Amino acid sequence: MKKIEVKLSLPVVAPLLDVIKSTVDDLRGSLAAASAGRDIDDDLREVWVDALLASQAGDCRTLLGLFDRDFFSTGVIAFDETNAEPIVRACAAVRLRLREKYLKCLEDESLESGNIELETLAEPERKAFMCYLFLATIQELIIQHLDSSIIES
Amino acid sequence: MIVGQAKTTTAPARRAETELALQGLWHVVVLNDPVNLMSYVVMIFKKIFGFDEPTARRHMLEVHEQGRSVVWTGLREKAEAYVYSLQEWHLTAVLEPDEKN
Repeated sequence: MKKIEVKLSLPVVAPLLDVIKSTVDDLRGSLAAASAGRDIDDDLREVWVDALLASQAGDCRTLLGLFDRDFFSTGVIAFDETNAEPIVRACAAVRLRLREKYLKCLEDESLESGNIELETLAEPERKAFMCYLFLATIQELIIQHLDSSIIES
Repeated sequence: MIVGQAKTTTAPARRAETELALQGLWHVVVLNDPVNLMSYVVMIFKKIFGFDEPTARRHMLEVHEQGRSVVWTGLREKAEAYVYSLQEWHLTAVLEPDEKN
């Protein structure tokens, strides 16, 4: 089984985990992409949204599970064929909610290019943006190394 | 009595209209968002639709540059399944009737 391990800087990443955790809490009971299920028939919509919420919650649990006691002693997180898919999806959900909750002040173009001066942001937005970038990096790593196992699963 | 009669005649007619509307072809349309990574969108298109790399990239660029891309067209039930899968991956995906059919 293909596995990648990444050693992270604890002093850099640990402060971001509170933001990720609170954003995951915020996602409880609401979908990251709010438009999901909107054009589905009334009788199917509730089941549809409930299934998406359950999937989102499971993915987020897997993401938070990366940052366990071992992580705080070693600074290492590991991705493999079993957790790559839920983690890459959870990162998308959290990034969407970070955008909605903290980063509305940023233009789409700036956000897409990543061309943002951190000093111009207030502390909560700066931290949220750091999380946003951190989660994108995790996604890139997984896609770069494990995309074939996701596509074929 | 009259009200009851009216109900029994109009309800099947309405159901038939709905069924007719659900027949025909439906587009699965992916809309742009400024958050999801290009590589992520390409990977999802490859996974869900079985696209090869150039096709997945072409659709991703269409979403990015034109704001939307029709990624699949077919019967409603399968189109719904695709939209569900795309939404599970947090892409903005909608169903649209194919007006030509």
